[in-house]
Amino acid sequence: MAVGRKKISCPPYAEGTALSERDISERRVTFFEDHPNLVYSWTAGQAMSRFLNELKNGKLIATKCEKCGRIIFPPRIYCELCYKPIDGWVYVKDTGTVQTFSISYIDPDARPLEKPVIVAVIAVDGASPNMGIMHILGEVEPEKVYIGMRVKAVWKPENEREGAITDIKYWKPLEG
Amino acid sequence: MEVEIVKGLKFHKKQDVAIVGAGMTTFKRRLLETGKELSYFAVKQALEEAGLDIKDIEMVVMGSAPDAFDGTALKGEYLLDGAGGSDRPYLRVFVGGGTGVFAPIAGYWHVASGLADVCLVVCEEKMSCCHPHPQSAFKYIWDPILDRPLKPNLIWIFALEMRRYMHVNNIRHEDIALVSVKNKANALDHPCAQVAEKITVEDVLNSEPMALPVRRLDVSPPSDGAAALIMVAPHIARQLTDEPVWVTGVGWALDTTHWTNRDLYFPRYVAEAAKMAYRMAHITDPRKQIDVAEPYDPFDYKELHHMEGLGLAKKGEAPILTREGVTARDGDLPVCPSGGLLGVGNPISAGMGVKACEIYWQLAYRAGKRQVAKEVTTGVCQAWGDLMQVGTVMVMSNKR
Amino acid sequence: MIEKIVDPEKMRHFPPKGGKIELYWVYTSGRAGEEFFRKLREGKFIAAKCKKCGHRYFPPRIYCEFDFSETEFYEITGEGCVEAFTVATLDLNEEPMEEVIAMIKLDNTDGRIIHVIKDAKEVCIGMKVKPVLRRPEEMKGNISDIAYYKPV
Repeated sequence: MAVGRKKISCPPYAEGTALSERDISERRVTFFEDHPNLVYSWTAGQAMSRFLNELKNGKLIATKCEKCGRIIFPPRIYCELCYKPIDGWVYVKDTGTVQTFSISYIDPDARPLEKPVIVAVIAVDGASPNMGIMHILGEVEPEKVYIGMRVKAVWKPENEREGAITDIKYWKPLEG
Repeated sequence: MEVEIVKGLKFHKKQDVAIVGAGMTTFKRRLLETGKELSYFAVKQALEEAGLDIKDIEMVVMGSAPDAFDGTALKGEYLLDGAGGSDRPYLRVFVGGGTGVFAPIAGYWHVASGLADVCLVVCEEKMSCCHPHPQSAFKYIWDPILDRPLKPNLIWIFALEMRRYMHVNNIRHEDIALVSVKNKANALDHPCAQVAEKITVEDVLNSEPMALPVRRLDVSPPSDGAAALIMVAPHIARQLTDEPVWVTGVGWALDTTHWTNRDLYFPRYVAEAAKMAYRMAHITDPRKQIDVAEPYDPFDYKELHHMEGLGLAKKGEAPILTREGVTARDGDLPVCPSGGLLGVGNPISAGMGVKACEIYWQLAYRAGKRQVAKEVTTGVCQAWGDLMQVGTVMVMSNKR
Repeated sequence: MIEKIVDPEKMRHFPPKGGKIELYWVYTSGRAGEEFFRKLREGKFIAAKCKKCGHRYFPPRIYCEFDFSETEFYEITGEGCVEAFTVATLDLNEEPMEEVIAMIKLDNTDGRIIHVIKDAKEVCIGMKVKPVLRRPEEMKGNISDIAYYKPV
């Protein structure tokens, strides 16, 4: 057992060698750059396959659990609270309420966007409370969005739908 | 052998666990050193403080967040030789951002079970390898069917949560910005800090909008860095020091990935983890019994959110405590005296250096300029991660 | 229990044509790697020796993984002998190729390098080989700066 604990400064830290972005772009240090060629395809599974097929028809579908009485959206084949298979499918409406929202000025790679995107979590009518999905809001000024706002989905025309969440172009405020 | 009943499960603890040494590297946006070299530096510092040699280490736990940052699949194995894992039992753990406190919890299991008397815990992160931007790796955390086609950025979730928190508790952005001002100023006393500076609330409110209400000065930067700490059994701690710091409670809990099905204003995963840790540590009134806290603060509103989850403030009360100076270093309940992630940097798992390691240094009265003004006996550190899912909590004390 | 989808036409894959992972990585060489590639540009090879136990590391490192003490760099010839080899007949995309890949123990070190052997009529274990470097102006700062190994 090595003893000999020293009273050293706190925190005990070591200096790393900081680099700047130009050190990399101008190759002042050696490095290796790797561009992977990875392509993934995910199976949608039982519940999501039905969900995507229904989206192509212009409808939203949820599942229900008899034991706890919840209408679960997005649909899944098990109820995670009761931990049992669900008991049936239920169509829900394509209107909802904004639970929370944000106005984004950046794209997925952290680059700035020219026009901001309004993203919101929308609790869908017909499902249990708090059963929401994330989606984009449109046809509304960013300043006019508020929590509790009623919105309706705007669908792509039938021949352009491909069975994806983007078959709903965006959600717009419900008048009245 | 102690047998305690915790959360309905029997808990057999073979021996208590003490922390006797810790170390870290500077946190910077880009470091030249490889992940192995960074781990080596952090471990060397921890061994020096503890007064141990690498041969005394029996088992090693490595905490490191997604392989996608370093670009090395099997990252734990890759970092092994720099982390002291050669020819030893070695384990890599990973729960997203919660790894900073989850790795010491895994180290706790090794020693409390009696399988090891000396366990080294290392956390390392090299986010700068990932291009075009470290945030790009977060594109793949989202559900491929429901979320990814909308081209989201991870900051969107935080912005949605922040908006909900502000709405339900009726809090203004000015009160939340006070946290960023406090932590960045605290970090001026930390030698490893990357973004320590003196700013004002106006600077925060006028900074570049990222995803409103989140602005650039509300966010911690991506960093490279490493941290290490050493956990030992009581008889070893006695040989090394008169004042070890004991780990009295650990807890961890996760919530569902379907984050759109949750009301985001309260982190119930943190509350669950804290319940488990507080029961182990026999804490019934956290607000009075905790002397110093390091909740996870990658965003300024997150510090307040987690303070409420940890029971250090009632729901909606945390911004009031900040405004009244209770959470400053000389206040009644200092929070993030190190400067936290907002001031020092956020290398995901290596945030252990400003969470678990900082509480250790505070309780051992070795934090120098960052030492809090009041007398400290019990401290709590907490981390959080994934798609707002995991809460990991560790309670430490300098009295057994 | 609900009815399951059993018709494969109705089971979805997403995205239909596959989603590409759009990331790329820049790996810095680290302190030891930086020194190694700088010396390689001058035509020299270096290895590292632990100050405490004397273990000779190739590729060079700044720490000894067994006793965690510092190392010091020293020069080696870069020549070695073949410890094992294989003939690769398929590349990453399963296209045909033909290359001899060998594990070469470098003289005066305890370490080995994996590299390609060319200009050899036949390869056998124990065969002595030496490195052929690229021209300094073509060097990029990674292991391909050593073009290949050939018999002495």
